[in-house]
Amino acid sequence: MPKIVKPILTFLMCLPAFVFSQDFSGEDYIFLKRHEHIKIALNNNKFDIARNISEQAKYITAKKLYFANESIGYDSFTSIENIKAFTELPEANKTIEVDYIETKREFDNGIFYSDQESKNFTFPAVTKGAITNLSYTEVLKDPRFLGMFRFGTFVPTKSARLTIEFPKNVTIGYIDFNTENIDLKFVKEETSSGYLYTWTVENVEGFQSEDRSEAALYYLPHIIVYIKSYEVKGKSHNILGDVKDLYSWYATLVDQIDEKSLEKVYTITDKVTEGLTSDREKAKAIFNWVQDNITYVAFEDGLGGFIPRGAASVCDKRYGDCKDMANLLYEMLNYAGIASYRTWIGTRDRPYSYYEVPTPMVDNHMITTTIVENDTIFLDATDSYVPFGMPSAFTQTKEALLGLDKENFKVIKVPIQDINKSITTIETVMTLDNSTLKVQEQRALTGYEKVDFISDYVYKKDDKTEEEYLNTTLALGNNKTQYRDITKDNFDNSESPLILKYDLNIDNYAKTVAGKTFVNLNIDRTLAKSKIDTNDRKYSKKIDNKFRKVFTTTFTIPEGYEVTSIPKPLSFDNSDYGYQIHYTKENNKIIQYKTLYINTLKVNNNEFETWNSFIKSLVKAYKKSIVIEKDL
Amino acid sequence: MKKLVYLILLVSSTGFAQYYKTYDWKSNPKLHELTSAELSEASVGILKKNIVEYQKSLFGSGLNRFETQHTIVRVNNDYGINRHNTVYIPMYEVKQVVDIKARTIHPDGKVTLLNKDNIKEVKNVEEYGDFKIFAIEGAEEGSEIEVLYTVEKQYDMHGTETIQSDFPIKEARFLFITDGLNANIKAYRTDKSFETVDVNGKPSKQIVLKDIPAMLREEYATPDANKITVAYQCFPEGQNVTHEMFWENVVSNIGSQFFAGEIKQKVIDDIKGFVKDDKELTTFKVASMVDNFIKTNFIIIKNNNAELSDLDYILENRSASEFGIIKAYAQYLSALNIDYEFVITANRYEYKFDPEFFTPGMLRNFIIYLPSEEKYISPSRIEYRVGEVPSNILGNYGLYMNKNFEYYFSKIVQSDPNFSRTKRITNITFDEDIESATLDQNHEYYGHWAITNRAILNLSPKESIKQFEDFLTSSGIEDKVIESFETENTDMNPVEYNPPFVVKAKVTSESLLEEAGDSYIFQIGKVIGTQSELYQEHERMNPIEMDFPNQYDYTITIHIPEGYEVDGLDALKIYKSYTAPSGEKVCKFESDYTLEGDKLVITIQEFYRTNEYDISSYEQFRTVINAASDFNKASILLNPLD
Repeated sequence: MPKIVKPILTFLMCLPAFVFSQDFSGEDYIFLKRHEHIKIALNNNKFDIARNISEQAKYITAKKLYFANESIGYDSFTSIENIKAFTELPEANKTIEVDYIETKREFDNGIFYSDQESKNFTFPAVTKGAITNLSYTEVLKDPRFLGMFRFGTFVPTKSARLTIEFPKNVTIGYIDFNTENIDLKFVKEETSSGYLYTWTVENVEGFQSEDRSEAALYYLPHIIVYIKSYEVKGKSHNILGDVKDLYSWYATLVDQIDEKSLEKVYTITDKVTEGLTSDREKAKAIFNWVQDNITYVAFEDGLGGFIPRGAASVCDKRYGDCKDMANLLYEMLNYAGIASYRTWIGTRDRPYSYYEVPTPMVDNHMITTTIVENDTIFLDATDSYVPFGMPSAFTQTKEALLGLDKENFKVIKVPIQDINKSITTIETVMTLDNSTLKVQEQRALTGYEKVDFISDYVYKKDDKTEEEYLNTTLALGNNKTQYRDITKDNFDNSESPLILKYDLNIDNYAKTVAGKTFVNLNIDRTLAKSKIDTNDRKYSKKIDNKFRKVFTTTFTIPEGYEVTSIPKPLSFDNSDYGYQIHYTKENNKIIQYKTLYINTLKVNNNEFETWNSFIKSLVKAYKKSIVIEKDL
Repeated sequence: MKKLVYLILLVSSTGFAQYYKTYDWKSNPKLHELTSAELSEASVGILKKNIVEYQKSLFGSGLNRFETQHTIVRVNNDYGINRHNTVYIPMYEVKQVVDIKARTIHPDGKVTLLNKDNIKEVKNVEEYGDFKIFAIEGAEEGSEIEVLYTVEKQYDMHGTETIQSDFPIKEARFLFITDGLNANIKAYRTDKSFETVDVNGKPSKQIVLKDIPAMLREEYATPDANKITVAYQCFPEGQNVTHEMFWENVVSNIGSQFFAGEIKQKVIDDIKGFVKDDKELTTFKVASMVDNFIKTNFIIIKNNNAELSDLDYILENRSASEFGIIKAYAQYLSALNIDYEFVITANRYEYKFDPEFFTPGMLRNFIIYLPSEEKYISPSRIEYRVGEVPSNILGNYGLYMNKNFEYYFSKIVQSDPNFSRTKRITNITFDEDIESATLDQNHEYYGHWAITNRAILNLSPKESIKQFEDFLTSSGIEDKVIESFETENTDMNPVEYNPPFVVKAKVTSESLLEEAGDSYIFQIGKVIGTQSELYQEHERMNPIEMDFPNQYDYTITIHIPEGYEVDGLDALKIYKSYTAPSGEKVCKFESDYTLEGDKLVITIQEFYRTNEYDISSYEQFRTVINAASDFNKASILLNPLD
């Protein structure tokens, strides 16, 4: 991922707060104020930009004293100056200054090396009633990184304010998000030397993430401000007026890519595509080679966080981050005669469009777009298992910015991948041995169904045995289900379906009452736990990809028995999600046909009731058993 | 002039004696032969060699200390590559890096050497200090990654090295060169012992271990603390320090700081605020008041600020290090005439505290013991109050010292063996159509359960609290609806001993009932919440260590609907237990029922009297643990009365 400037690390969506009364008396900790003043000056065509931050927070209880730990992040594009921090103790009529600030680094799982550092300190003597005060200045070294201001944060804020002061020859752009439900006031003022814009809002509730909800930026009220242009001596200079300006800047960065020793890359390309004739085959071979041979290791160091490393160096080192892999693919594909473009993109957790937000905030990822036989294909080699032809799931719906040449670009949307690309087909054969259900099952997984299974298996199985892993993830039958003869084929990034096979023994599964034996053929209860708790749910549900599961379950009626009851067909049909189940009897076999589908990437709040009806109906259908009785 | 030449000669000849200078990797590396089993591992350590070399300094009485690590690892898949392609070398106590080199030997025999310009320096990382980091260049499936580095460290008499890892290692060597100085070395959790070998004419110690298995993350275990480890000491010339002398030194050094001298005025003033003149005050209550006061007014900080151990600073800023906060406790407790002992120990999941071999790295956790109450205070644990020790310390050894600087070692145990227990009463009714079951639940949690529950409820983010509510109300019922949920005794600052954390909830579910002709199958087993199965496909590696001894008592009453009778009750009778060689029944799962009119009353008792079990009793232990998951799948039938 390319560099993302995060000016204030203290914003953590995962931190707690509840109860949303206006006086916030039910809270443990609130912000009395969070104010930011951005001052932009222009001298000799050079910007001086400083963000002055001033915050005041109150400990309503002594429960969460850990909020006293403060961390201010910065990197090579910013510096932090004039930190003033102190605790006020109104009861004791006392203030105590922070007298120790430490500069620290952190190891991050996703980024191996980064120039991100932080200033860390702890407010002294916090307790119930304490008020902490913090102010500092963040100096920005690049006018493209004005960043964002959040009107709301993880705990309530009594007063949030953003002001921006800039000279008359500078033009500012701004756009706010998710502010419909807050009383945001905006005032423009003209001063002797320029303009002053002020946004204020009082009493903003706290925001915390919810299980399987859209990312924070989809509901957090915030504003993005940016410098569009400036004028000096009648001549206008563009900074980020529109997406064209953003692209021009990206083009200058790409221009700095090290193009040394590309012949090494070409040799590999020749080898990888040897004997292949069609562009599609070649493109696929190149993509798979990068997926298989380049490991994800990210370095974020100054502009190096934006400029891909040379393709030859990435080949030598066998590691790189998204932009390194994207650039390597670009070089290899173009060398093979397949038109390809370096592509900037924001992942699904960024809700922005290049047209609305022409700033580096809009994207956080890089891929390669290639045109093969008139098909536009998005290639993301950071996803080691995604098959050629499909974008990584987390880029669906997002705008891709393709660099065509130094001046020209194109913005296109990554399409949602059709449901028919991600299918799990489950063929199950069941027999009954007293009360034990004996099962042979084969699962064929395609598309994202396959990608997810393999990624989870590789990175989450840990030291669990295969049996334990499958029993806790597939959860077939009951918690005592025994797995035998587990095999996996096509456990790779190919388009062929992953084939997973195993035999199961499920003890005490069938129930016999008064000569009737009840057997429930729904050993797989996918989605049964997906009901949304609507009581205090606030944000929409996010779904990673569309998928369909198709089950065919064949139950052999034990000798000497006959079937006396078969459940009626049941279904829930909706364009976005649903299921169908029906049973047939063929000779001595009962066959259950079951299909489950999710054909959307999002369930909005006003659809929760419908979603819950779907789940309720499905759970009801899962409860139905067949009944067999001994022949008379 | 002549003198200078002599001096240079001396330096170089002594220099030659340093073993690390002659140690190197092979000039023409080849891939190693591996068995098919080894090739099926994500990665396999082929060599892990550590050389710790102490050397008399040329000038003065100081000692030089060099550490060399040489590793070769085969990476067989993506996971293996990801595990080994980033290298972090800690710079803690490092005076200078002598050399760092790394290479990749490719399956085709080609070698990629690390470009040293790509080694990055990272300063002051979290609490770990500085690091040199680099990514391995050229690693692909089937490669071997070889890393060799030597650092010169500040002289420290003590050191440790963890030999075992999360992946198998074919050969590990630890070489301890001490230049004729007095030294001690001890290897933990291996039958192999150190042998004397000759290194450049000096007797040295070496241990060689072959085919070390990967340490598995087993459940009910402390795998990190159970790895094969080496601890060593090397003393300045002419000195020989016994372990006893070290312990005495710790006691006099630390003890003098932690047994309060003069009580500060600020402390006396504070006490006036939180201890009211009350004749009912017991030692326990007063100690609880001190604990509550400190935990709601002081904050513990982990950084390098030396003042956080200074008493005046601590009292003024209400901020302290983990070490410094003890001084605050000492002040308040002494001012209130409470007798206490000070205990140094370690997290048992990381280190097994060894009273017989002094290793400063193990002196990590500081707790306070109240001998008259047989209770502990855990100063750095925000969720604990006067009572038993936190579960991560329970069972480890500790160094106890009193105000007279007398000391002793003891295993840290619970004074109340029944500290942690859960009592659940559930009443189950069905709606008229027998489509839905209603579970009326009344749960009482004691001990560590209560402490953890309070902490989660008070300190966690909303999303976790949601999950927590699910956990407390029969987790695993797929369509469960929580109709009501109330908690009692949630305050984290109680002054009585072990008050129960109470949950009163009402939940409904349709999925617990399945139609079976005119009958209904009721999945009673799911009412006790998800119970996971304890698997064992390979031989158990770790002795059993549970978090803490605990007991569950459940009473589940099913109100049988009118016109129905219950059947299939045999599944409700389960009895599994393990009786230790001492004759004591140490763990048990027992479920039973009685049928009284229209009430089916199921009782379950499950207990684990101790948290430690020998590895040889693993199968018996597993049978008891899995009995709960046997019960989990129990179901009964509701049959119509003709």
